[in-house]
Amino acid sequence: MQGLSVMKAFALLVLLGCAGALPGRAQEVSDADSGSKIVALENLWNQAAEAKDMVALDRILDDAFVYVDPEGRLLTKAQVLADVKASHGMRFASEAMVVHLHGETAVVTGIYKTEGVERGKPFVRRDRFVDTWCYRHGSWISIASLATPVAF
Amino acid sequence: MRAIAWLGVLICVVCAPMSVAAQEATEGENTAAEIRALERAWSEGEARNDNRALDLIFDNALVYIEYGKVMTKGEYLTRIRTEKPHTQQIVMEGTTVRTFGRAAIVVGVYREKDMKDGKVSLSRWRFIDTWVKKQAGWTLVAAASSPLPR
Repeated sequence: MQGLSVMKAFALLVLLGCAGALPGRAQEVSDADSGSKIVALENLWNQAAEAKDMVALDRILDDAFVYVDPEGRLLTKAQVLADVKASHGMRFASEAMVVHLHGETAVVTGIYKTEGVERGKPFVRRDRFVDTWCYRHGSWISIASLATPVAF
Repeated sequence: MRAIAWLGVLICVVCAPMSVAAQEATEGENTAAEIRALERAWSEGEARNDNRALDLIFDNALVYIEYGKVMTKGEYLTRIRTEKPHTQQIVMEGTTVRTFGRAAIVVGVYREKDMKDGKVSLSRWRFIDTWVKKQAGWTLVAAASSPLPR
């Protein structure tokens, strides 16, 4: 009986060891669904920025998210959220999006249109963007974004 | 005997997450070193117009954004192969590598010294490179840069 308990404990030990060695992200990602999900998230990101929906933005952006803006500034997630909070009457839209899937990583390219009013004057600007997404814990999350002026 | 066995289980439960965390930290450092080496190989390959070396570094679906234009791997390699190299010098000012499982992001700044029509121009760029670990190893899937003010 005592021998059996030792055997059970040993088996548990082996199982725990195996669990620790597993990579923990063996979930399969369906390519067919992923593309449309990511495009929907890109649009949701724009809507959340317009509506200053910090809860939605917090879910879309990874805590380690980094953004390089068209002026070359490097911003953290906290700085991006602060910028959104401080913005007034801005409208955002993404055009010509293309999703490139690489398993649990996706790269999205497109044109980012910003409309607003600056110093009393309305403006529209278009920048080229590249966003990187990662599939983690059953959902896609943005880890990096770069925007640069279109063809200069 | 039973007490010793359960003590073993307890030690395993406490130590397993610690060893996993330590293993992940080491893996992260190794990945960062590997990717920095690939970034150097890319710069050197481009300076030598070595398309064969670059072909191994770039993923077939590479997205490369330069001066606001999107280029495919084929277009980028053709540009490197056919254009006369006018870039005199590219100096990296520092990079940060962040790993996300099988993906890695490199953020950095580089200085470029160009010679065009006999004139020297200097520019600085902030870039983000995206690497993905595939069967053959780490491969570059996206690279983009944004100009910094002078």
